[in-house]
Amino acid sequence: MANILILLIIGFPWLGALIVWLIGDARPKTQHTLAVAFSLLSGISSLILLAFINSQPAIDLSLGTSFGNLTFTPDGLAVSLTVIATVVGSLAVLFSVDYMRGEAQLGRYYFMVLFFIGAMAGLVLSGNLLFTFFFWEITALCSYGLISFYNDDPKAVAGGIKALIITQVGGVGLLAGALISYANLGSFQISELLGRADTIPTAALSFIAFSFLIAAAAKSAQFPFHTWLPDAMEAPTPISALIHAATMVNAGIYLLARFYPAFESVPGWKTAVILVGVTSALITAFMALTATDLKRALAYSTVSQLGYMVYAIGAGGVLASQFHLFSHAVFKALLFLTAGSVIHAVGTRDMRRMGGLGAKMPFARNVFIIGALALAGIPIFNGFWSKELILEVGLEHSPMWAYALMLLGAGLTAFYTFRMTWMVFFGTPRETLHIHPIGLAMKISLAVLSIGTFTTWLLFGGLNGILSTSLPFHEIEAESTLEMIKAVSFAPATWFALLVVTLGLGLFFAFGRKFALSESPAWLSTLTESSFGFEPVNRFVVSLVSNGAEKLRATQTGQLNWNILAIVGALLVVLAALVWGGAL
Amino acid sequence: MKLTEINIILIGIVSLLGVGFYGLLITRNLIKVVMVLQILVKAVVLAFVFSGKVSGNLGLGQSIAATVIVADTIVAVVGLALAVQVRRRFGTLDAPEISTLRG
Repeated sequence: MANILILLIIGFPWLGALIVWLIGDARPKTQHTLAVAFSLLSGISSLILLAFINSQPAIDLSLGTSFGNLTFTPDGLAVSLTVIATVVGSLAVLFSVDYMRGEAQLGRYYFMVLFFIGAMAGLVLSGNLLFTFFFWEITALCSYGLISFYNDDPKAVAGGIKALIITQVGGVGLLAGALISYANLGSFQISELLGRADTIPTAALSFIAFSFLIAAAAKSAQFPFHTWLPDAMEAPTPISALIHAATMVNAGIYLLARFYPAFESVPGWKTAVILVGVTSALITAFMALTATDLKRALAYSTVSQLGYMVYAIGAGGVLASQFHLFSHAVFKALLFLTAGSVIHAVGTRDMRRMGGLGAKMPFARNVFIIGALALAGIPIFNGFWSKELILEVGLEHSPMWAYALMLLGAGLTAFYTFRMTWMVFFGTPRETLHIHPIGLAMKISLAVLSIGTFTTWLLFGGLNGILSTSLPFHEIEAESTLEMIKAVSFAPATWFALLVVTLGLGLFFAFGRKFALSESPAWLSTLTESSFGFEPVNRFVVSLVSNGAEKLRATQTGQLNWNILAIVGALLVVLAALVWGGAL
Repeated sequence: MKLTEINIILIGIVSLLGVGFYGLLITRNLIKVVMVLQILVKAVVLAFVFSGKVSGNLGLGQSIAATVIVADTIVAVVGLALAVQVRRRFGTLDAPEISTLRG
C-alpha cells in the first residue's frame, strides 16, 4: 500500500504537470481546475501515507550495480515533510486560481509548480543519496523557472539566475558529499551512511559533513548564501509562498536533520551549524527591520526563521527544528498568501505606499494578524510553541552567546513583524489605492491556513510519535502534546523569550511607528542594502567571472592555426606528464 | 641510438606527425590543409601497423589501418569538395579570411 501511495504522491503532480501543459493555454479554466485537482490528490495521498509510516523502504528497485537501488522510505521525517510540501503546495495552487487569473502562459506556470511539488516529495522520500541529488536539482530548476516566470522583466530573470547559481553551489556540495560517501561505503543508500558513519575515516566524514552543510545553507538561503532568497521575490506571490513555506528552503533543513546522527560526532560541525543559524537569523532580522518592500520583509523573516531551525539542529534538537519547520510552513504560507492578496488588490509591493488598508480589507487584515502573531511568537499560536521549544533546546545544549543572540533575534522578530503589519494595515492611508476584491479561492486557502496557525501545534504529539518511532538512528524521546505544553510553560527559556518579545513589542509601540515611516538610520540601511557586505562580494564574483571570460575571449580566434597550436601544446603537456609522471 | 628496424619506423612516425602538425600550424590554404591532414593520417596508419607488429597482432594492426584508409579517403574527398564550394562562394581559399568574412 505504502509503495502505491508513494508512486501516487510523486506521480499525480508530475502527470498533472504534463497534462496541464499539453492542454494548452487556450483553455485556462481547465488548466486551473486540473492543476488544483492533481495537487489536491497528491496532498490527500500523502495524508493517507501518514498511516503507513515505516523505517523500512517501501519501494526497492534494483538498478544494477553502479547506482545502488532506487528506494523510497516512508519514515516520519520524510512523510511529515511530504505532507507539508503537498498540502501547503496544493493550497498555493488553489490560491493561484485567483491570483494568476488572466495571466498568459498558465501551462508553463502550472507545469513548473506541479513538477516542483512532486520533486520535493521525491527528494524527502528518496532513500538513495544519488536520487536525492536528482530531485534536489529538479527543485533548483523549477525554482529558477518560477522565479523568472515573468521572463520579460529583467529583474525577475536576474533573480532566477541568481537563485539557480547559488543553489548550484549547494548542489555541488551535496554531490561531492554523496560521492565521497560512496567511495567509502560502496553504496548510495542513506541508511548505510547513517548506520556505518563510524567506519568512515574522520577526514572523509568531516568532508561529507561540511559539504552537506554547504548544500543545506545554499538551499535554505542561510548565511553566507542568504542573498538569493530576497531577489526571488520577483516571482508571482503563490510561488514565493511555495518556495518559502512548502518546498525549496525546507530541503536544506531536511538534509541537516536527516544526517544529524551521522555528523554529530564530527569535530566542529555542530558549532559550525549553530554559527550558520545564529548569523542568518540575526542579520536577516536586521534586514527585515529596514525593508520597505512587503514581500522582501517576509523573505528576510523566512531566512531568519530558517536560521532558528538550523540553530536547533546544531544544538541537537532535530525534533524542535522539524516542529518549527511545520509551524513555519503554515504561518509563513498564510503571511505570503495574504501579502499576495494585498498586492493583488492594490497593485504595489511598497509598504510606504500602503497604510490604513485594514479598514478596506478586513479579511486580509485579520488573517495577516494571525500569521504575524505566530511569527512574532505570541502564545497560543503555533509559532510560539515551536520557537519556545527551539530556545529551550538552545538554552540547554548550545553555547550561552548563541542562546543570547537568538533571544535578541526573537525580540527583533516581534518588532519587525509589528512594523510590517502596522505599515500595511493600520495608520492613515498614505495614498489612495484602488482596491480589487479578494477572490473566493484566495479566501478558502487563507482560511484553511489561518485555522492551521491556531491549531497545528496540537499535532505536536503526533509529529513526535512518528519521528520517535520510525527513525532508527535519531534519538528522539516520545513526548505527548500535553507534556510538551507543561515543559514549555514551566521552562525558564520560555519566560526569557516572552520577556524579550514583550520588550520588542514595547519598543515598537514606543518608537516603532515613527521609525517605520521615517528613513532608517543611514548606517543601518547601508548595511542592510548590501546584505551586510555580501551583495558586494556577490558582485565581485560576478564581475571576476565575466571579466575573466571577456579576457579569455581573445584566445577564441576561430582560426585553425591557433587551435592546432593549442592541440599540439596540450599534446606536449600530456606527453611530458606521461614521461615524468611515470618516472616519479 | 642504433638504427634498428623498429627505430627507423618510430622515427618515420614521429617525423610524419611533426610534418603534419607543422603544416597545420602554418598553412592557410584549405587544399593544403587537406594535404597536411593526409600526412598526419598516414603517420597514424603507420603507427597502427607498427603497433600491430610489436604487439604480435599484425593482422589486427593491418585491418585497422585498412579501415582508417577508407575513412580517411572519405574525409579527404569531403574536405576537397568543401574547399571547392568555399572557393566558389567566397572567391578565396584562405582560411583566416573566410572566418573574418563570416564575422
